[in-house]
Amino acid sequence: MEKKQGRSRESRGHTLLLSIILVFCILGAVVFSVSRKLSEEMSASAIQNLSESLDLIRCTIEAILKNEAEFQKLVAKEIGNAEDPERYICSYEKNQSMVKMSLILSGKTEGVSNTGDVFTEDGLDLSPERTVDGLQVSRSYVNYMGAWAYTMKCPVEKDGKEIGSLYIEYIYDTLDRSLPSGFYNDKAVLYIMDAKSERFVLKPKGMGQRSAGHLDLTDFYRANSIVDEELRAEVAACLESGKDILFYHDIRNVNALNYMWSVNDGTVFLVGYVPVEAIQQEGRTVNQNILIVVVVMLAAFFLCCILYYLNQRQQEKIRREREKERELHNKQLAEALQAAQIASGSKTTFLSNMSHDIRTPMNAVLGFTTLLALDADDPVKVREYTKKIMASGQHLLSLINDVLDVSKIESGKMVLTVDRFTLKDLVASVDAIIRPMAKAKDQSFHVEVTGIKHDHLLGDETRVDQILLNLLSNAVKYTQAGGNIWFRIIGLKQRSSQYEHIRIEVEDDGYGMSQDYLETIFDAFTRAENSTTNKVQGTGLGMAITKNIVDLMGGTIEVFSEIDKGSLFRVELGFRIPESQADEHFWEKCKIGRILVVDGDEEVCDNIRLQMKDTDVQIDVAHSVGEALEQMQKGSCKRDCQAILLDWELPDTDPIRAAVKLRECISDTVPVFFMVSYGAEGIEGAFQIENAKLLEKPFFVSALKEKILEVQAEQSDTIFAEEGADNSLEGLHFLAAEDNEINAEILTELLDIEGASCEVVENGKLAVERFADAATDEFDAILMDVQMPVMNGYEATRAIRTLKRDDATLIPIIAMTANAFAEDEKAALEAGMDVHVAKPIDIELLKKVIRQCLQRKGLRNET
Amino acid sequence: MKRDGEGRSKRIAAVCLIGIGTVLLGACNSKEEKGKNLIEAEEEEVQVVALFSPMEKTDPNSDNVARNAMEQTVCLAEEKMGIQVDYITYTAEDYQDKTYDEVALDRVRNNMDDLYLLNPDTILTLGEEGLLMDLSGLDNAKDLREIVKTANTVDGKLVAIPQEVVAYGLFVNKDMFDRYDLALPETPEDFLECCRVFKENGIETPIGANRWWLELLVFAIAYADLYNGGDTEAQIAALNSGESRYSDYMRPGFSFLQELIDRGYIDAKKALVSEAIEGEGPDFLAQKTPIVMAYWGAANADTAYGAPDFDMRVIGFPSSRGQMPVMPMTGIAVGTGSEHAEDAMAMLDVMVSDEALQMYAEINKVISPSKNVEVECIPALKPLNDKIKEGIYVLGSNAGMKVEQWGNTCQIVRELLEGATIDQCMARFDQLQEEALRDQ
Repeated sequence: MEKKQGRSRESRGHTLLLSIILVFCILGAVVFSVSRKLSEEMSASAIQNLSESLDLIRCTIEAILKNEAEFQKLVAKEIGNAEDPERYICSYEKNQSMVKMSLILSGKTEGVSNTGDVFTEDGLDLSPERTVDGLQVSRSYVNYMGAWAYTMKCPVEKDGKEIGSLYIEYIYDTLDRSLPSGFYNDKAVLYIMDAKSERFVLKPKGMGQRSAGHLDLTDFYRANSIVDEELRAEVAACLESGKDILFYHDIRNVNALNYMWSVNDGTVFLVGYVPVEAIQQEGRTVNQNILIVVVVMLAAFFLCCILYYLNQRQQEKIRREREKERELHNKQLAEALQAAQIASGSKTTFLSNMSHDIRTPMNAVLGFTTLLALDADDPVKVREYTKKIMASGQHLLSLINDVLDVSKIESGKMVLTVDRFTLKDLVASVDAIIRPMAKAKDQSFHVEVTGIKHDHLLGDETRVDQILLNLLSNAVKYTQAGGNIWFRIIGLKQRSSQYEHIRIEVEDDGYGMSQDYLETIFDAFTRAENSTTNKVQGTGLGMAITKNIVDLMGGTIEVFSEIDKGSLFRVELGFRIPESQADEHFWEKCKIGRILVVDGDEEVCDNIRLQMKDTDVQIDVAHSVGEALEQMQKGSCKRDCQAILLDWELPDTDPIRAAVKLRECISDTVPVFFMVSYGAEGIEGAFQIENAKLLEKPFFVSALKEKILEVQAEQSDTIFAEEGADNSLEGLHFLAAEDNEINAEILTELLDIEGASCEVVENGKLAVERFADAATDEFDAILMDVQMPVMNGYEATRAIRTLKRDDATLIPIIAMTANAFAEDEKAALEAGMDVHVAKPIDIELLKKVIRQCLQRKGLRNET
Repeated sequence: MKRDGEGRSKRIAAVCLIGIGTVLLGACNSKEEKGKNLIEAEEEEVQVVALFSPMEKTDPNSDNVARNAMEQTVCLAEEKMGIQVDYITYTAEDYQDKTYDEVALDRVRNNMDDLYLLNPDTILTLGEEGLLMDLSGLDNAKDLREIVKTANTVDGKLVAIPQEVVAYGLFVNKDMFDRYDLALPETPEDFLECCRVFKENGIETPIGANRWWLELLVFAIAYADLYNGGDTEAQIAALNSGESRYSDYMRPGFSFLQELIDRGYIDAKKALVSEAIEGEGPDFLAQKTPIVMAYWGAANADTAYGAPDFDMRVIGFPSSRGQMPVMPMTGIAVGTGSEHAEDAMAMLDVMVSDEALQMYAEINKVISPSKNVEVECIPALKPLNDKIKEGIYVLGSNAGMKVEQWGNTCQIVRELLEGATIDQCMARFDQLQEEALRDQ
């Protein structure tokens, strides 16, 4: 089809070209014919014009000659009447034309001249054929004045009898005055030639090789390259017969009309040439105008062609663009269709998976609930069933959370809650979750932190946590038992002083992934499928969520994997560094200016140095206890060392003994921190040392600070915090705002189990009123649902906080809501609540949260 | 996109239409004006002076440009003075015609023109007749070399001023001399020997001659001692007073010329009817003749002997004092009866100004009559130029001598060529001297 179209276009192009050529040919033929006709007419006109001009000159010269002859006859008559003719002659004074007058009386050969010389006819070459008005004319000669001249002979009669002959000499210069000045605008050349001698007797008076004239006809021929013998013969014949001749001959490559114009029956000739251009001045203009018209027409024609061509090209371009656009649209549509089909397939698969994944735990819940009903009297079975129901419920919850996350991400509703956090807490929380999981699978879990300059950072800790847990839990899931998992946090070179650039690496030596799967790993609803991993439960949403969170944080995530060799996930994130550290003067306050680090690993020492760089604390490093003792011996170290960091795993060293030795050199009040790895053995012995604490690896400044505070608190007998203390809610009394009766009942029962009591109100308004009426310290805390009729939890909280009671601002208000997103938590905190706990209620979490709130309340009361 | 394309096309079309419209409107415009005299006022009559000069035959297809350096100076004068020069030219077609000098004499005597380019003999003749204006008052006359003033001063009047100091010499084909191991001749004897060798080697006529310049051989021998002996003025005075005779000076030169004719080294008959360069030039250029004589300028590029196919040298004529350049003084004169004498004087003043003479000398590579103008000569002219610079030369004309030299000697040499004896020729000189003494 396209070929056909192409051929058709080509054929149209040829037709157009042929048409153009045809138009040109016709135009050319018309112009040529018109030009030729014009040229012929102009040529004829030029010949006529020149002929008329030459005729005019001829007539003028002939008239002069005739006048001269007539005048000579009159003079002859007068001489005939004169008494003494010779005396008459001698008395004549020459004038401009008649320069010499002579008389030879009949019968004599010599006569007299007015010049006083003797005059003879010798050399005059008078001929009966050459006459003017019947008077004989001599051939031309150079006269006594050095000028070209001719003489006319006239008989002198007296009483009818010839008594002698009168000879009058005329010079050609006289004729010059009667000739046109500037013949054809000085472009024409005009000579007067004596026919007999062929000498030029009157020439132009211009300067230069040409204008200064030629000598004779031969010179004229030579100078103008007239070499055609036939032409020269024809000219000779004309000269002989006294006829005019006019012919075209190029003079110096210029087309010219050459002429030999007979005067006085061929006595003399007008000789010369006129460039045709000089005669046809208007002809040139006409030709130029024709040329201009032709050029303009051609230009217009070409312009039209160009415009047509441009238009066609433009059309073609537009057509191509449209085709391209259509192709692109089709492609996009096909891709979209494919994507939709894939998405549909994925979602079908997902739904199928979800159906399976939800039904499985649901089956367990329902099944065990049935069993629970049957075996309600058997406490052992009841406990076992509830434990399994709980596990299945937890699994269901995580499924729901993931699905909701994806939904939020896809709808663009996910927002980050930026707050201050410490890497220490991040690592600790991740470690606390992952390590047991790894241990359960007999896997080794390695945590490495290097190059971190700032521990305190600004970011969404929860989401970072989510990223890490996703990656690490996957690593645990997809690594066989006995495998290794590495979790690395690496501080990269800072791109800006305001940002800490961190790389997080999660590596394992597990099953690995195929390259095909790697391409879709971050797509939702995908899960690595193989015989091994099929056993692993999951929604297939974790990596998609992770990728989206990383993107949201402006970071990057990469994955490298090889089947049966393991995988490496590399996440790079930038966190803003808080502008002012809250404990800016922490070290100063704690009176710590110098710390001795005793660690065999140089990398660990460098890491500590790097993290402590921004503090004023001086770090001394010793790679062994011996070295540390040596340093202690030195006065300054001994005197100024305010803390010791001692590696628990120093090679060939018992850390307790080492600590004892070091204690001997320093005061008992100087704290010793044992840096221990997870699972280190014999750490109980550390507590035998006074003012000694365990500091978990990896090293974080914030962790060290906490430990220092603990030590100082112990030293001042102030119980600052009871880490690991009992979270029991025994004896506490709460006000709970909950509109759902079942939830209220569950809460009441759970608190009751924990030995706490609870008064439930149905909405926020009642909660406010109840609190307002309550006695001071009647309630330890308020558990507030958010979505309630009459007044929601946020409004109620704001109302409580504005009550004019001393404890209105102090009473902990804990949000307990099914609105579990980060923005819900943010809204809760903004409303004045202390903490947000998502439903369903995790009693352990609730207990922990309540304890923390009460501790804070206690501290606030003290201050 | 499409809209853009269409817009552009429309704009182009609009511009074209406007252009075509403008052209059409312009074409319709008419200049015809009724009720007005359509003849432009006649131009004011231009001042004209007539210059009589020889005419060279025109080369085929040559441009209509100034023929020579003199015409360039005329152009300069025309431009400066706003006066037009009309050229009146004459050249004899053959020896039967009146010579240029004869016509020049006639034209001056009949006041036909204003400015005349004259040969040395006519300068003297017309000067003595009092027909030439005294040019010593011209502004630029004071810069002339003494030799020029001396040669052209008649009865205390500077009657003509040349645009070049014309130096004549022998033009020799050095290649041919080398071919026969001949040194360039210094003396008449050397010259005869060279001619002998050439003749023996089949060169029929070793010396190319015309009817005008054989007198140069005579002058060199005749006046070598007079002009280079240290007592020039005394010797001329003796000649003018009749104490010495011109024939005594001339005899050795004529004898030498006779010998050259007798031995067949010069074709006397051919020379008698040959015009300058036209007669002998072609054979010289064709390397058939090893020696010719000509004026300095003929050796320059684009002139008669300007581009020979052989090593050409220009040397002085043989004399007892070695190679001798002969220098006749031509000149431009103004007739006393000229119709436009004042204009002619003014024009001449410009034509002999240092600026004009510098231009002239540079074009023709000649010795300038002005003391202030010097140009380098071409290598071929170096031998001749060296002699002139040394002050070794013979004047071909001298207005201080009462017997005119250039024209008379030329005429008497022609008589010799026609068959007159040396004694007859010397008798002519004696006659001329007597006439001159009688006129004093």
